[in-house]
Amino acid sequence: MRPAPAFVFLVHPLVPAQRVVLGLRQLSLSRARGRRPETFGRIGTVGLPAHALGEVLGLMMEPEAMLADPQAAVDLMERAARSVPGIRAVGLGSLCALVGGRGEELARRLSVPVTTGALATAWALHGHARAALKALGRPRGPVAVVGSAGPVGELVARLLVRDGVEVRVDNRRGSRAARVCAGPDEAVEGCPLVIGAGTSGGVLDPAALARGAWLIDVASPGTLKGEPERGVRVLPGEALPLPAGWHRGLWGRAFHRVAGYGPRHVYACLVEPLVLAASGRDRPYALGSRLREEDLVDFDRRARAMGFSASGFIG
Amino acid sequence: METPTLENLPPRAASAADVDPAAWEKVRDAFAEALGLEPDEVLFESKVIGELGAESLDFLDIAFRLERAFDIRIPRGGIEQSARQGTGDERYEVDGVLTELALDSLAAIMPEVPRAELCPGLKAVQVPELFRVGTFYNLVVFLADQKARGVVLPA
Repeated sequence: MRPAPAFVFLVHPLVPAQRVVLGLRQLSLSRARGRRPETFGRIGTVGLPAHALGEVLGLMMEPEAMLADPQAAVDLMERAARSVPGIRAVGLGSLCALVGGRGEELARRLSVPVTTGALATAWALHGHARAALKALGRPRGPVAVVGSAGPVGELVARLLVRDGVEVRVDNRRGSRAARVCAGPDEAVEGCPLVIGAGTSGGVLDPAALARGAWLIDVASPGTLKGEPERGVRVLPGEALPLPAGWHRGLWGRAFHRVAGYGPRHVYACLVEPLVLAASGRDRPYALGSRLREEDLVDFDRRARAMGFSASGFIG
Repeated sequence: METPTLENLPPRAASAADVDPAAWEKVRDAFAEALGLEPDEVLFESKVIGELGAESLDFLDIAFRLERAFDIRIPRGGIEQSARQGTGDERYEVDGVLTELALDSLAAIMPEVPRAELCPGLKAVQVPELFRVGTFYNLVVFLADQKARGVVLPA
């Protein structure tokens, strides 16, 4: 028998195809139960049965509405999280991880740890960056971190500096250990590898990238203001290869497929609540604007033990 | 009930010397938490974008924390709305460039911004780059005052 869900992961549709999948799922559920469609609903059960399974819940709320009324968004997230009894962690996807003080308001209302996924995202980006530098034959960089002001970019820049890599950042908030540049275009000049760590993209002129550069991107929409120039390679920074034994149902597969990473990968931010729930920790890995290195060490150890790897990005 | 206008705005803090310590502490902590900074890195005169490194979505987080700390609702685009009201029927901008009247209006609303930065040729889209932490301090103190008086501001 499948174990009961140990965590929930809250998402909202970002693109029309996701809205369609979520809408159809809602419609099928409400018809089966003879009720009106809810403002949130179950997309599917995902995870590793040997460690923890989680319910992916979709909020029927547009990104614009979430930004315009964060309080209403947090109210909806709270209702959704409370709809699954017995959980040990709540994970947040996309804008759910931003509104309400980057998870803090929701955490105040719930008795289980709420985690934004930012730490696992940083973990994935750092692992991918190391693999990319090796593949490019440029172990010392330079690497530009665009979106270095955010918690993910700041941590990735710090970790790469510690690896002995020459790092350039586009914002003084990411400056504690790296070279500060006037902006993204200046930071990426001549860099074979660029990390797009911002929350929202559209900040980098594609022409500013060096010929043949690799961009590992987690921004949504993407870091580039337009289409990449020929020879530039854009890699999804948050994609992790699925470990053996990964479970997901039909609707989870459908939603995942339109999320952009294809059937063999999973978002790092979804892995974070899974690891948290399986670990029994009562402290989230990421909440608010600060990420802690000791949490990264703990996450790295547990995630690897479950079969996750951050060094095999989609080529 | 009196409608807030530029003429009847309560006194605004032009520098750190003018602030109410309890309110300032809340503002400073909201910025520090939202931007992952130490509280002592947040100064009244710090430029929010240029010096503290805030990006567009950070403003959402800052606004949320300030709303919670002061139990107020911050209208989106409120500073620009106030500045536009201050120009009356005259034009606020021409081809995106602020008029003299708009600059005067902004100077009245944002005394914490040195007048020299509100110079002819300034574009409307550049105004957020002038925002200081003090700009938000003055805004939330004003909104909290209005709320205490029972004034309902447009959302």
